[in-house]
Amino acid sequence: MNLKSFLPLALVSILFVSCDVSNDDTDIKTPATYEFSRNGSSTISFSGQTTRINMATELTGAVNDFDNSTEELLLEMYRNQTADGGDTDPFSNSDLNSATKNIKGKVAASSDFFSSNTALSAEIKNQFEIWLKNQVEEVFPNKNTMASEGVAGQIADGSSTRYVNGKGFEYKQLVAKSLIGALMADQMLNNYLGTNVLDAGTNREDNSSETLSEGNNHTTMEHKWDEAYGYLFGAAANPAKPAIGEGDSFLNKYLGKVDSDDDFAGIADEVFDAFKLGRAAIVANDYDLRDEQAQVIRENISKVIAIRAIYYLQGGKNAIDKENPEYGTAFHDLSEAYGFVYSLQFTRVPNSESSYFTNSEINAYLAQLEEGNGLWDVTPQTLDDISADIAAKFDFTVEEAAN
Amino acid sequence: MKRVASLILVLLFAISCTKDNPEGPSPDDFDRKAILENWADNIIIPAFTDFSDKAEELKTKADVFTTNPDQQSLTELRSAWKTAYLSFQHVSMFEMGKAMDLRFRDNLNIYPTDTTEIQDNIQTGSYNLELPSLNDSQGFPALDYLLYGLGEETGEILTFYTAHQDAEAYKSYLTDLTNRIDWLTKQVLNDWTSGYRNEFVDNFGNGANASIDMMVNDYIFYYEKYLRAGKIGIPAGVFSGSSLNTHVEAYYSKDFSKALFNEALDASQNFFNGTHFESQQTGESLNSYLHFLQTMKEGTDLASLVNTQFEAVRTKADHLNANFALQVETDNNAMLSTYDELQKNVVLLKVDMLQALNINVDYVDADGD
Repeated sequence: MNLKSFLPLALVSILFVSCDVSNDDTDIKTPATYEFSRNGSSTISFSGQTTRINMATELTGAVNDFDNSTEELLLEMYRNQTADGGDTDPFSNSDLNSATKNIKGKVAASSDFFSSNTALSAEIKNQFEIWLKNQVEEVFPNKNTMASEGVAGQIADGSSTRYVNGKGFEYKQLVAKSLIGALMADQMLNNYLGTNVLDAGTNREDNSSETLSEGNNHTTMEHKWDEAYGYLFGAAANPAKPAIGEGDSFLNKYLGKVDSDDDFAGIADEVFDAFKLGRAAIVANDYDLRDEQAQVIRENISKVIAIRAIYYLQGGKNAIDKENPEYGTAFHDLSEAYGFVYSLQFTRVPNSESSYFTNSEINAYLAQLEEGNGLWDVTPQTLDDISADIAAKFDFTVEEAAN
Repeated sequence: MKRVASLILVLLFAISCTKDNPEGPSPDDFDRKAILENWADNIIIPAFTDFSDKAEELKTKADVFTTNPDQQSLTELRSAWKTAYLSFQHVSMFEMGKAMDLRFRDNLNIYPTDTTEIQDNIQTGSYNLELPSLNDSQGFPALDYLLYGLGEETGEILTFYTAHQDAEAYKSYLTDLTNRIDWLTKQVLNDWTSGYRNEFVDNFGNGANASIDMMVNDYIFYYEKYLRAGKIGIPAGVFSGSSLNTHVEAYYSKDFSKALFNEALDASQNFFNGTHFESQQTGESLNSYLHFLQTMKEGTDLASLVNTQFEAVRTKADHLNANFALQVETDNNAMLSTYDELQKNVVLLKVDMLQALNINVDYVDADGD
């Protein structure tokens, strides 16, 4: 054996060794890729998640499209139907128009958090519509006005132009970053990775006996797990071995951002490995191992949201906290922060039934950002306080998240 | 594995730390005020004074042209535009004080210019050039389009200001743009000469808000984003994967992009060496500061390495076509190798120099969203 053929083997063995740590009482290995097959064809399926990520991409892209967007169009993109429930073609991608899926139906719609909390679910679903409406009603007419306290309009952020409401918030960022929690994380952590969904009905018996869901090559449980995976990597060019951080501007992008921070290097592999091992565990009918991996994913995806919330809160603070405040830069960062803070209510403490922050806790933070003239007069102290509160729930510091 | 990795990191760190000069003079012992005085009095204010004169001349020539648009007045206006654009390369890096407040550079030199927006502004006649969204339809790049890009031939371009049904609108847009350059420049120069100079020089301490830290950050930011990326890297496709010939500076005038680059390269090197504006004389500078600190890198003094690297860039750039768009289309590798040489100085300036001067980088790469 020459050295060249030995090296990959050595690397592979190292991989196995490291996997055995989290998996010492079974012999299920973490696969190298997210590829599973039965009878020679793939059992993976998450097209509905890819569709929703693509819909969310088009929707957020349309928020600042002053030439083509209307309130009606934005709402139709959110609902994929007309106001009275009719069929509509709001997207430029015809696959999305013909899809029966939509964004709104899966916002704040997880089994664990919202199945018996429908009033809150409706309120959150509606919040996105309010932002979209306000964008058209407040910001569109002022697109050629300089923003100032209480006046919507445009403001420079370096060489970029940002469009904000009278309190300095960019609705585009509110919508985009809040969807990361309300759509992607909520569906993943609190729906598809929960036993309510994975073990619903006869899922366990069917999975153990390889009874396939009708017309498919997968068991229902396999599919549920894939759907969780799809909200993270469903827009990746190669979902079997996704490029971390590439393919969308939602969860995968920010998993990549966090992973590239030295303080959190390795988090993306941890999540990817947990998805692969959990899926392998389902195939091997090891449901304890599956659930352990679900907890790993819950913890790390929640961390990603918390880290980015703090990152943008601190970025905004640094832009404001100087002799000549850079308002445009601060508003952009703090609008992203607002969305990530909003998303925190959809996180999930591992091995528990609760999120890291309740809806009312989150609303209290957001109220601090919106108070008075909003971002025009928010203080560095407020931004530091919120950052510290968030970090206190996790095993990292504000500083680690901020750099 | 993790341990090995961290050991390697520690070793790397230790190696890089040996470049530092723990035994040598401290940055605090250097007369920082002398650097600031040299910068303000011999480089920045003279450069802004010169540019302000050229901007005023540009405005004057635009007035002459719009009063009597003909071949002769167009030639003179183009010439004034070129002279002013070259002079601008000497002030573009000084985006501080009033220039920062006004977002001076973004108002004067965002390219590629938005020709659709320019046409829209001319058609509607209603535009507010103070809006950030109109930064890319004003300044030198917009004038480039208005003076060279409206048609193929000079005669055809002239008709937009004479026979065209919107000739009056074209003329007033031209006037508005040249007036605005002049007005913005006067504000910046006036601020430097009526108080900001002293504020700048008296803030000679160290720390994130000290003049030297801010100026050095602005300088490196300029070098990295505007000289390296804007003039060479972006058109060469370094960041997009495929080359973008329309993204060169002064795209419409065709043969002027290299001249602008060379001027900016000279300005960057002159600033490093403290070379007085339009003179061979030098004063206190980053170069002399590094010499004072006896900063070495791999056995050679860092300031010499930086200057050698500037020369290496110049050598590469010598081979480029006067028209960078043509260069990108015919032999983009020559652009890419110029970029590579520029990049080497980013490392020397941003890593080695900042470490020696004990200055922290105060900007981060925008995360692109």
